[in-house]
Amino acid sequence: MTCSDVERVLPEFLDRAPDGAFPTDFETHVKTCPACSNLVSELKLIASEARQLAATEEPAPRVWVRIAAELRAEGLIREPQSTPARPILIPTSSGRRWSAWWLAPVAAALLAAGAYMVGHERAPQVAKQQAPTTPVTSPAVDTLGATSHSEDIQSPLQQAKKSGKPGASAVGTTVATAVEPGPSAEDQQFLSAVSTLAPSMRVSYENELQAVNADIRETQAYVNRNPGDEDARQHLMDAYQQKALLYQIALDRIQ
Amino acid sequence: MASLWHASLRQNTVVTLVLATCLASAASAETKKEYRFTVGPNASVSVDTQYGAISVKPGSRNQVVVTATLKSDKVEVDKLQNGNRIEIASHLLQGADQQSGQIDYEVLIPPDATLNLRSSTGPLSAEHLQGDLSLEGTDAVVNIRNVDNGHVNVRTMGGPITLSDVRNGHVDIASISGDVHLKSVTGPLVQAKSGSGKIFYDGDFGSGGDYKFTTHTGDIEALAPGNVSADFSAHSVLGQVQNDFPLQPKHSRFSVEAGRSFFGTVGKAASEVVLRTFSGKIRLKQR
Repeated sequence: MTCSDVERVLPEFLDRAPDGAFPTDFETHVKTCPACSNLVSELKLIASEARQLAATEEPAPRVWVRIAAELRAEGLIREPQSTPARPILIPTSSGRRWSAWWLAPVAAALLAAGAYMVGHERAPQVAKQQAPTTPVTSPAVDTLGATSHSEDIQSPLQQAKKSGKPGASAVGTTVATAVEPGPSAEDQQFLSAVSTLAPSMRVSYENELQAVNADIRETQAYVNRNPGDEDARQHLMDAYQQKALLYQIALDRIQ
Repeated sequence: MASLWHASLRQNTVVTLVLATCLASAASAETKKEYRFTVGPNASVSVDTQYGAISVKPGSRNQVVVTATLKSDKVEVDKLQNGNRIEIASHLLQGADQQSGQIDYEVLIPPDATLNLRSSTGPLSAEHLQGDLSLEGTDAVVNIRNVDNGHVNVRTMGGPITLSDVRNGHVDIASISGDVHLKSVTGPLVQAKSGSGKIFYDGDFGSGGDYKFTTHTGDIEALAPGNVSADFSAHSVLGQVQNDFPLQPKHSRFSVEAGRSFFGTVGKAASEVVLRTFSGKIRLKQR
């Protein structure tokens, strides 16, 4: 197995065995190749942290320290100045100062999740699945740290797989017939941050979030029924980008 | 009778005095401040306010003038100059809300300066400029007029976006639910995306540009003159399409579905125009 082989199959292996039970030839190469070993370690860490995102209000300090160090090294952030170049628009307690920073990786994760689903769910024959009625709340790492915590960003096919309920009936033909899932952990956290830091904006963000999630569900259902429709896949990706844009605008405004 | 008249007069006087006091206190709470910065070529100006309007117009070539109207003493203006980079930001103090935290900015900048504007409520407007523009608003109305050569980047959540007479730059617009109006907007790359908002284009698609308009549920309507020169691709996954132009057939990656897509060229196909929506309607109309 070569380095490029490792890079190619790693996301799939991590997805299947996030705790690290890899095939022998894979393990052999990784043990002898420092670059691949580092890559595997970093992706495992990202996957592990991503899984904990939904469970914790604040990320572990070491995550921020590590990201901050990387960003400083790349010159993307500066040390605080006496006159802040970017003021704290809503004064908050020190404990809240960074409470919204997680929106950035979540926005990135949404995009990555969208890209992954659009790119990898090209099952030649998508069996008709029954949309599950039991909400799937546990987060799942798709690949490369991209998270699919919410059922609204999971296809009905994925949901059926996770809930172990392969159904026989068709997915609803319109979004109106689809099961309306509750907000995901990220969405709840997002709305919580918005209502704390910019209460007047909460209703607007909540409405937009519902609309974007509905678009994603609607498009996902269509793609599941028409897996060969490239344009619909692109619209699904666009819908994820819209959600990422929403998170990004919120991040810009409330941090 | 006289006492009744006097009572009424007294009552009117009291009401008038109360109103005058309220108006006077409101007027006194609103303050206007002006800041001037001397800059060289290629200046960069950023204005960031949570609540309030920002209006930018061209001024002298070496000076940035910012006039800020503060609605109360619960908000301050933070300003920073670092060489040619000017940063202006509203700074909300404890207890500020959407009304008391509002600052309206009127800004004069060198015409070729790079400009970054952000406001949740807006409106945001920029006109007669030649530098790169980046505007972001949550529910802000965005209005950009008469911009030459600069790249224009606009993002809003729900605020409508209007661009008119924008030429020769890259235009990149993204909104989640805001309508996008483009009038006489041409350039090498013009793209607009909105989720549920509508996109209207009124222009000739220039010569040699890529135009790409995408919505999820919003309609797309393009109005062009009969002598337009463009290669059109339009596809609605679930909606309807309508076209007034006699298109010359061409090959497309989409299979032609009657009523859901059309493809073809008009004139020499100088520009490429792609119109895509998931469930909205697409109309290409001849002016």
